[in-house]
Amino acid sequence: MQKETAIKVENLVKNFGKGDNLVKVIENASFEIKKGELVALIAPSGAGKTTLLMMIGCVQEPTSGEIWLGEDKVYDNRWTAKDTRKIRREKIGFIFQAHYLIPFLNIIENITLLPQTNKVSEKAAKQKAMELLEYLDIADKAHAMPSQLSGGQNQRVAIARALANNPQIILADEPTAALDAQRSISVIKMLKKIAEEQNVAIITVTHDDRILPYFDKIMKIENRGIIFHTLDAERII
Amino acid sequence: MIDLAKRDIEHTLGKFLVTAMGVGMLLGIVLIMIGVYRGMMVDAEILLDDISADLWIVQEDTLGPFAESSRVYEDLKDIIYVMEGIETSEAMTFQNIQLPRPEKPVRVVAVGYDIRGLINPVNPKRLIEGRDIKNDHYEIVVTDKTGFKLDDKIKLGRNFYTVVGITHSTVSNGGDPLVYISLKDAQDLQFSYSNKEIQNNEARGVKNSETFVVNVIVARVKTGYDVNDVAKEIRKWQHKSVYTAAQQKMILTKNLIEKSAKQIGLFTAILIVVSTIIIALIIYTMTLEKMKEISIMKLMGLPNLLIISMIVKETLLLGVFAFIFGNIFSHLTYDKFPKRIVLEIPDAWALFGVVIIASILASFVGVKKVISADPSAAIGG
Repeated sequence: MQKETAIKVENLVKNFGKGDNLVKVIENASFEIKKGELVALIAPSGAGKTTLLMMIGCVQEPTSGEIWLGEDKVYDNRWTAKDTRKIRREKIGFIFQAHYLIPFLNIIENITLLPQTNKVSEKAAKQKAMELLEYLDIADKAHAMPSQLSGGQNQRVAIARALANNPQIILADEPTAALDAQRSISVIKMLKKIAEEQNVAIITVTHDDRILPYFDKIMKIENRGIIFHTLDAERII
Repeated sequence: MIDLAKRDIEHTLGKFLVTAMGVGMLLGIVLIMIGVYRGMMVDAEILLDDISADLWIVQEDTLGPFAESSRVYEDLKDIIYVMEGIETSEAMTFQNIQLPRPEKPVRVVAVGYDIRGLINPVNPKRLIEGRDIKNDHYEIVVTDKTGFKLDDKIKLGRNFYTVVGITHSTVSNGGDPLVYISLKDAQDLQFSYSNKEIQNNEARGVKNSETFVVNVIVARVKTGYDVNDVAKEIRKWQHKSVYTAAQQKMILTKNLIEKSAKQIGLFTAILIVVSTIIIALIIYTMTLEKMKEISIMKLMGLPNLLIISMIVKETLLLGVFAFIFGNIFSHLTYDKFPKRIVLEIPDAWALFGVVIIASILASFVGVKKVISADPSAAIGG
């Protein structure tokens, strides 16, 4: 069965500054990621990974190009929807290096906050949150505070939060940066399972080549453009 | 919808309450400052209300016994009495004296009055023990704040006075406790000299002849007569300054208390500004502490309004809690102050309004920080 497109980017350009101070970060980057795919985004430091992540996350405006989220074109040399915040709220999930849960909300409130902002009823949001917590095997912690959970448990809650609004795409910014190799592999395996079972595309920024074999695709920023690498044994970072 | 402000406050309840207590103490001081002013107003009017005279006749071109030195002859009361429209008139003296006590002398204002007269400054409602003065000499009525008990002997001048009555809540316009003595004793105390002084004066050919001088003649006007008209007549024929009760009240409140009121008002305004700045700084710090979470909330797409409402609600709650603590603080401490503090409910409500406005203003610094928070700060560590 043909997988649906989660995100499509065409001729994306990002420049900073003007005239003599012009810095070209991304030039004519084009790629397409299907739902259910786990994709690694790699590049040396300063090559534009975060900039690319912010553009496809509707946080930073590209200089030019096109971005589709599913069938909706969200950027066509300007934001097509005025409220990019609404796009983020409804179509995108975020996972960070640290869990960054809101410390004064308990686990279930952290997960239901965004759906409730999207006008989902409290009951439906809680039901979905409990399903996600059960899926991630931490349902017993639903009413605990983030400070009462271990780092690994909190990261799973952060993943549940990213899934709570049924996003088209999840953008993960080095989610394994603070973990040892074994735990990193375990997290990536979990993300791969989530991508397949929840039918969501996950783009993960990483510097860790030990986890690359677990990704479906590896996207690398090279010469300000995007190149897809095959999963062979060679070191590509 | 989850109430973010409530959850945040619950999460750091101890810190929030201690902060509110700190600001509350400042607001409590504001209430006490206002109470000091109200107390001065009450104090200023006690003696006027207790004497309840329609006219105050004093030395010409002076403002009367509370504002300026005034000397008139005692027999002026008889001249005033026979004037048209006068129901009764009495002579009175007011003087600052010190009552000796073993630990520390007590500074008081002594009111001298004719114990057989029809205008008695000792308000029976304020007399909590003993009786009024019945004898012409060596009896004294004191206020409870002086610390004397019934039958205590107090040495004033060359004589011992027996405490025959104790009043409560009687103070002069300056806040000093009031004591009452007979007019004859008061004249002796105020105008008689020591033996040596008399000898010296006699050697100079000066007679010690001032014991029939008083500070003021107070009078009540018959029903049906206009106090201003009667006052005008006295001014015209007796060459004295005459003040109606309303004018005397004005002298006390406007001339004597106005400066204090301005000073208190300025202190109060400064304290309110300081409280607002402190609330603003607290909210700014509280917002700074949450900047990472705010960036993440913005990145996830939470509306600014939701985050701003959290900041504004927290600021308002801080203001409300501080106001409650301020009221508790002021009510627990007001009676420990040496001068009268009058805490009035309308003043508290007015302060509540100011606190709410100040809190809204203070929340702007936090709101500004929220609006400027960069969602991209959440990405890239």
